[in-house]
Amino acid sequence: MNELMELLSGDFLPKFLAGMAINFQIAAIALVIGLALGLLLAAGRLSGGVAAAIAVSIIALMRAAPTFVVMFFLLNAIPRNATLFGTPFALSGVMTVALSLVPYSAAYVADAGVDSIRHLRAGATQGALLFFPNLTRAFLVMVMSSSVGAAIGVTEGITVILRQAEQLPSFDDRLVLFAIGIVLFGIPLQAGFMVMSLFQRRFGRSTVEEEASA
Amino acid sequence: MRAHLILRSIAKRCVSKDGQQTRCSFPPFETHAFGVLLRVRLFRVVAVFAALFAFSPAHAEPPDAALAELLSQARAEVPAACTQPDVDRLIKILCAKKIRIGVRDYYPLFAERKGDRREGYEVDVALAIGRMLGVDVDFVRVNAATRIPLLAEDRIDLIIATMGHNTQRDGQVRFIRPHYYRSETTVVGPRELPVASMLDLPGRTVCVTVGNGSNAELVSQGARLMLFDEAGVLPDRLKDQTCTLAAQDDSFFAKYFADADFNARYFQKFGFAQVPWGMAVARQGSAELARALELITQVFHRDGLFIDIGRLHSIRLGFLRQQQEVWRTPECNTDAGSTNPSCILPPLNIALQPTSFAPDVTRFERWVDACTGIDLALPMLKTAPAWSLFKDGVVYSLVLIAGALAATLAFALVLGAAMGSRSFLLRWPARLFTVALQSSPIVLTLVIAATIAHGLFALSTATVLGAAIAALGLANGSNAGQAIGEAMWSLRAEGMQSGLFGRALSRAATQIVAFLINAAKGTPVASFIGAPELLSSLTDITSFSSGRVTTYSILLIFYTAVVLVVVWLCGKLKQILEHRQAAA
Repeated sequence: MNELMELLSGDFLPKFLAGMAINFQIAAIALVIGLALGLLLAAGRLSGGVAAAIAVSIIALMRAAPTFVVMFFLLNAIPRNATLFGTPFALSGVMTVALSLVPYSAAYVADAGVDSIRHLRAGATQGALLFFPNLTRAFLVMVMSSSVGAAIGVTEGITVILRQAEQLPSFDDRLVLFAIGIVLFGIPLQAGFMVMSLFQRRFGRSTVEEEASA
Repeated sequence: MRAHLILRSIAKRCVSKDGQQTRCSFPPFETHAFGVLLRVRLFRVVAVFAALFAFSPAHAEPPDAALAELLSQARAEVPAACTQPDVDRLIKILCAKKIRIGVRDYYPLFAERKGDRREGYEVDVALAIGRMLGVDVDFVRVNAATRIPLLAEDRIDLIIATMGHNTQRDGQVRFIRPHYYRSETTVVGPRELPVASMLDLPGRTVCVTVGNGSNAELVSQGARLMLFDEAGVLPDRLKDQTCTLAAQDDSFFAKYFADADFNARYFQKFGFAQVPWGMAVARQGSAELARALELITQVFHRDGLFIDIGRLHSIRLGFLRQQQEVWRTPECNTDAGSTNPSCILPPLNIALQPTSFAPDVTRFERWVDACTGIDLALPMLKTAPAWSLFKDGVVYSLVLIAGALAATLAFALVLGAAMGSRSFLLRWPARLFTVALQSSPIVLTLVIAATIAHGLFALSTATVLGAAIAALGLANGSNAGQAIGEAMWSLRAEGMQSGLFGRALSRAATQIVAFLINAAKGTPVASFIGAPELLSSLTDITSFSSGRVTTYSILLIFYTAVVLVVVWLCGKLKQILEHRQAAA
């Protein structure tokens, strides 16, 4: 336990917080790109005809693509000396993880977007606003999922915990450190989910009232 | 005069021409800070060579005489043969008065480029060869991927670029023997880390470079690999703790261990896979050049020139000293020494046994290339070890997915029943457990499961798979269980009292199905704790073969297809559950 105390009294917390900031950064990038792509797919899905069929297929494939495999695919499929519009294009570790989350993010946004647009068309404005708490849910899920970056050396929150754990010879100390990690990740996550639930309940109730009055 | 020229050639300065190619100019010898010993040794080599060259004996026994005769005959053909199309590269070099040598740009101690200047063991060996041939040296930048293609395209005459001599490359280039150096793969890690041999590697991640010939051996010992394109990043990845262990040629790490800080923190745990380094020329049209280089390297070994140059650049000298003893023996110190099996070293045998259908696979790759222009590579089907890894990976992936689905369902039922229970003692521990699991990223949950499993059981494939299945089942089952629990409470609120659990399952069908799909999607993450599923297998395969793009495309298609099947099956399950709800 002494080793653990020494570790925690050192620079663990600042390093961990810096790591968690990377988790949030990755999730934010994935959400922004997913938002743009997902809304396009949602529009395609609602347009009908061939475009709708194509959009549905793309969304299904994106939903099925495992983030971890997409990450390794991006890491290995994009040449190191690739160029984009004539300029050198090399993905950083953070961007690789963020892009690997885009299929999930875009598919989620497309599904939520279609629901919201349908609510809007039905005149249920409050129901359409459920899009934003849903977006928050996707963001929080991606914060957690971005820990897969540990597998390719991205220094995010879990990477910091695992590196520190390797320095602890005691099995018990390692488990305590992992528990601390869960608490540190859990606080913002559970707080986020609570806020989101409050919004969902409020909008959900309003939606039911709107639909009843419509 | 000849001796003076050779000494000056070693003391050259290389000036950049176009960022890639470097031409040597010849400043006064005195301006170059060369070791006194090296000068004396070089002078002796050259003096002997010059004397023998002057007399040109017809049937000389020592390599010096044979070299002198060979070069004399070659020079006699210049310039008459210079316009002929199919002359040996040696003649072309003598005609052009320059030799194009491929060297690396960044391989500390062996070949480095600092601004306009190149330096290192291989650079000085190249210059010594240029002087022995009496020509200038044009340096051309090469790396591990380009050195052989550049030779095949006749853009360089000779490779001196940290190239290990193995049976695979033997079919692509002609290696010069004796070899000019020998390295081994060394595993480096923090001093305090208890790793002493291959036996300590199972389950540990080792950082390596793609294409390193020793990767297959690490994989066969149960190590997990993290792949990097360039060796140059490995020390930094050790320092920032991305890598706990790194494996690379000992020649590469030599410079870093010369640094006191690095040496204080890291240690060479053990070495394996010794491989001789060879200069190489093209297989076609280079017979006389190869012969000249063989004789030159014999002389350099015998007279200790390699040792002197090696000492100047602080590389390990054990192999060079051993070779000096060999090439000083009367048996080897002859013009036939380089073909005497007792004098030369065999190439490292890395040939992997091909599968019975490898020729068909190759034909298919060519057909796809011809029809579509797609450079398809299927390394997992061509060699027996890769095929075995691939098959095992597919099987373990399917076992993992089936196990994760079953575990998710089982934990969902147990935790759902507990969370829907009226008993406070059952309900609250289940809720707390669920909140903890929800707060733990899946990677951390997997690591915790693996840590506990390793603490309780001996390390094995079954242990790792079991830990992964438990972790994936708990992470997803807790969420699905929460949905079941909430459904039970909502049913109670509606006044239902009997058949509550069955009805709750039907009501929570959408959530249960969603988390079953999530469990299937999450299975590749199990490779992080060493589960030998398809991602791990293909990463191992690509570490010692080509075709990364195709390999990872196949991986993506495989997992996406499997998840789509799981989605379809879960859709059926959902229909059954919802039908039950409607019937109730």
